[in-house]
Amino acid sequence: MAEGSKAEERTARARTVSLHTEAEVAHLRLLRPTITMRMVHELGEALDQLEDHSAARFVVISGVDGVFCAGIDFADFRPDAPMDIHGFHKWEQLLVRVEKLGKATVAAIDGPCRGGGAQLALVCDVRVATARSVVQFDEIHLGFLPGMGTWRLAKYVGLGRAKRLLLQGAPVSAAAAERIGLIDVVAEDGALDAAVAAELAAFGPAHPVATELGKRLLLESYAESFEENIGGFLAAQHRAISQSAFLDTLKKAGR
Amino acid sequence: MSTPAARILAVGTATPPTRYTQAEVLERFRVANPAVRKLFLAPHVRSRHLYLPAADAEGRPTEDQAALLRKHRKGALALGGQAIHAALEPLGLRPADVDYLCCVSSTGFMLPGISAMYVKHLGFRTSMHRADVVGMGCNAGLNGLNPVAWWAASHPGRLALMVCAEVNSALYIYDDTMATGVVNSLFGDGCAAVLVGADVLPSAGPAPALVDFESHLIPDTWDAMHYEWRQDHGKFSFVLDRDVPYVLGLNADLPVGRLLGRHGLRRRDVRHWLIHSGGRKVIDAIKYTVGITEHDVRHTVGVLGELGNLGSGSFLFSYQRLLREGVVQTGDWGVMMTMGPGSTIETALLRF
Repeated sequence: MAEGSKAEERTARARTVSLHTEAEVAHLRLLRPTITMRMVHELGEALDQLEDHSAARFVVISGVDGVFCAGIDFADFRPDAPMDIHGFHKWEQLLVRVEKLGKATVAAIDGPCRGGGAQLALVCDVRVATARSVVQFDEIHLGFLPGMGTWRLAKYVGLGRAKRLLLQGAPVSAAAAERIGLIDVVAEDGALDAAVAAELAAFGPAHPVATELGKRLLLESYAESFEENIGGFLAAQHRAISQSAFLDTLKKAGR
Repeated sequence: MSTPAARILAVGTATPPTRYTQAEVLERFRVANPAVRKLFLAPHVRSRHLYLPAADAEGRPTEDQAALLRKHRKGALALGGQAIHAALEPLGLRPADVDYLCCVSSTGFMLPGISAMYVKHLGFRTSMHRADVVGMGCNAGLNGLNPVAWWAASHPGRLALMVCAEVNSALYIYDDTMATGVVNSLFGDGCAAVLVGADVLPSAGPAPALVDFESHLIPDTWDAMHYEWRQDHGKFSFVLDRDVPYVLGLNADLPVGRLLGRHGLRRRDVRHWLIHSGGRKVIDAIKYTVGITEHDVRHTVGVLGELGNLGSGSFLFSYQRLLREGVVQTGDWGVMMTMGPGSTIETALLRF
């Protein structure tokens, strides 16, 4: 992936993502089926907006026209030039930002969810998919690697299943993906919005600080020992119980 | 800060020659209290360089307050001299080339002050401007660096030096209680010197501009860290409240937010965090409040583990490690952060 085009060129062309907020829900849509460097940049801009200026408590990431995301667009590559790893680094940094966002995130999947699209779905807090959707990690089949999906996937499905999914690269139906913990909820075709709305409602208030800290500690549980992490937990817990959300809970409890 | 910007041109550090593991200190003074032993053997501090006294027949250290004050003075001179040399020598400079000297110390009291002692013994000019920042605690390195940076910015072409000279083992009291155990297991001895100048000679390596400073005092927690005269021991004792980490943690994002906000920066724009090695709990509290990672605090944690909490100069040991890592790039933003009594949080914004 080469570095993307300049900002002025970007605005002249159609955007690759859209960000639209209704009430407490920010809708981040991927407007093209494959991931270009331009999309990586525009996703970064959307995350700037979500991190810095958005009061939304939830983010729903979806595709359009029956495709969630079908992976990398090879148009950004030039076979005659030395390969550049920098674009992949940008992509990983982007996924970490989604993963750590202080908002509850839902991947609303309809249609192909392949390669980078599947990686993006993995960093969301919940994955909802229509029955016709298909999840596939086909990178190794194509001769490259599924990003840090190699690091994340086994945490969802177990090492054995992750090996099979990554090495064989076979498409997995939404129903099969749900059985192994790769998809959380399967919706009937055409009923995705209602299923996503039900998931959002289930999050309840999604207090930003508690949400962010809870996500962070869960992620760190994979990288740190219990002894290393408990200090972090205590620091995070002290911050959480010093927030208005917990004080409100105490008030409601008559304290 | 007005142009030309003051830059950090060099850093030097020094620690006492003898390194002790935590187990060695326990052994030397025959610490029996299991709770205190556990404190020492926690994994966050593994070793420290210390000026430790001999033990008497019962394993008690033999220093009275007069001996502790002498130790502070001698240590500040020996380690300060080494740190100053380490900062100046690579640039071909000598103490006589320095135009302004600021000395920071909280682990002993002397009069005349440390800066006067350095002039007498280390070859600084008798006409050099001086200031001593005394009794401000672990945060004081940035309280000293702030006026040093302003002095340098308003005297382009001239050299300012700040020395943080702490002999924390001059604060040790041995009574087998948790209160003194916390101090005795955490703090190490060490000095750090930084050379600062604006529009002056080229530095040997990265020379970040000191762009801005921001302070924060939490007067409600006045007693959280303080010196107390212990009549029973005839010594000063440093008292550290157990809630200190959390108090500091809850407030840490306030000065950071103001500092970055003034410059239109976000947390994610900061590539280098140089945070005081106050203790593992303080570091955790800062991590989860400011929203930074274990990677961001790697030098803070590394200094704590190998050298302990070195008081006011700790963050400069981290700064030195960052430079040695060789990852700094021109244009990078950095934040220095120190915490201490008051309770105080001091921050500085760096542009490499």
